[in-house]
Amino acid sequence: MLELKKINAKVKDSDKQILNNLSLKINDGQIHAIMGPNGTGKTTIANVIMNHYNYELISGNILFDNKNINNLSTDERARLGIFLCNQAPTEIEGVSNSEFLRTALSSKTGRKVNLYTFIKDMEENMKSLGLDSSMMHRSLNVGFSGGEKKKNEILQLKILKPKFIILDELDSGLDVDSLKIVCRNINEYKNENSNCSILIITHHPKILEYIKPDVVHILDNGMIVKSGDLSLAYKIEEEGYKNE
Amino acid sequence: MNDLNIIYILEKNSKLDLNYDIDKNTIIYNYSVNTSLNININLVCEGVFVKYYCNVINYDNNIHHVIVKHLVSNTCSYIYCHGVNVDNNSLLFYIDGVIPKGSNKSTNYQDSQIINIKFGKSKIYPNLLIDEFDTSSSHSAYIGKLKDEYMFYLNSVGINNKDAKHLLLYAFLNNTDSIDNDKIDFFLEEIDRI
Ligand SMILES: Nc1ncnc2c1ncn2[C@@H]1O[C@H](COP(=O)(O)OP(=O)(O)O)[C@@H](O)[C@H]1O
Ligand SMILES: [Mg+2]
Repeated sequence: MLELKKINAKVKDSDKQILNNLSLKINDGQIHAIMGPNGTGKTTIANVIMNHYNYELISGNILFDNKNINNLSTDERARLGIFLCNQAPTEIEGVSNSEFLRTALSSKTGRKVNLYTFIKDMEENMKSLGLDSSMMHRSLNVGFSGGEKKKNEILQLKILKPKFIILDELDSGLDVDSLKIVCRNINEYKNENSNCSILIITHHPKILEYIKPDVVHILDNGMIVKSGDLSLAYKIEEEGYKNE
Repeated sequence: MNDLNIIYILEKNSKLDLNYDIDKNTIIYNYSVNTSLNININLVCEGVFVKYYCNVINYDNNIHHVIVKHLVSNTCSYIYCHGVNVDNNSLLFYIDGVIPKGSNKSTNYQDSQIINIKFGKSKIYPNLLIDEFDTSSSHSAYIGKLKDEYMFYLNSVGINNKDAKHLLLYAFLNNTDSIDNDKIDFFLEEIDRI
């Protein structure tokens, strides 16, 4: 369960406040979607949850499984089981994909990773995502296409097995076929882990056809201005945000 | 490849001058700890290239001076210098690429980067002395800390700062995959100590 309580947040070292008294509660097993036009603070929500270095929590509380995580570092939050699927995954030359994931997995479990099962697990999941297994040995995201980068994020998710998933603009950079593959993998994961919750961040309702949210929120100017069910998303699709 | 010359420079706490006349395709690997070095690389045979992969870990005040002279035409040099400056000391890179008149169709490529772990005073002086029109050259230089963006990406999958730093430094200081790791054991152990 993740709860944001009256969050005010700004860009560090500036006066620019982005999130205004934002509250949101996502129960175990639920899927929520936050929609809103570009620049309203959607990615900032994800970054504040992950304690990104560019943002500062001015006031408010972030609870995960009823525990206040305000003072936890990014890696501590991740090890609790929060996973961010980035809007634009970072490229790191020289750090191989498999080395990265193996280190992440052993950090998460606190145990040395069995190389044989790890490689097998990785190969299986890469196949299911339509990623060539040679990408395991390539530098992290370097030279990956937009779609491959997103698939690689989902590969991490499937290996690391988080309890709470944030999908930031999952469909950007993905063609329709890739989007279907990625969403099928996420839905399978969700079915196997029914307690896992998902926060979908998107300015476009397309992805909600593939991963069906229980609750849809509309974000404007760093505030949730409306919440409803999936029909709210379809209404947005027809009328746009301005008619809200 | 049969006609590739490979040279290793593996030094610790030393000061030295080195001179190489390159008459066939050559790769020079330099893995050095806390060392000051003057290295002269002279390309003396038409059509050859030299690649210089330099990785240094630095603790005191040290200077690394590379001078590449393209003495004949149609020669290429690729100079990659990566340094990690661990303490509050200075690490200076002087990288000179010299292409005199007559050495046409030559290429000098430089990529120099220094990461300061603390508040070290590092400087990179790339220097292209080119007296010939029909050549190509480029240089890039970066001095800074380990990038926040990289640390965040590693942290966000649960990797702590210590392990993240190690992954990044290991990648930064071993920026070639064609090397036999046994040879540079001492260097890899040194990375663990940063
Ligand atoms: N690091 C930053 N520095 C300055 N402004 C920022 C930064 N991050 C976000 N902003 C600004 O905050 C607002 C919200 O950004 P963001 O959360 O990325 O929006 P969204 O994801 O909804 O498109 C935008 O106006 C953006 O320009
Ligand atoms: Mg965004």
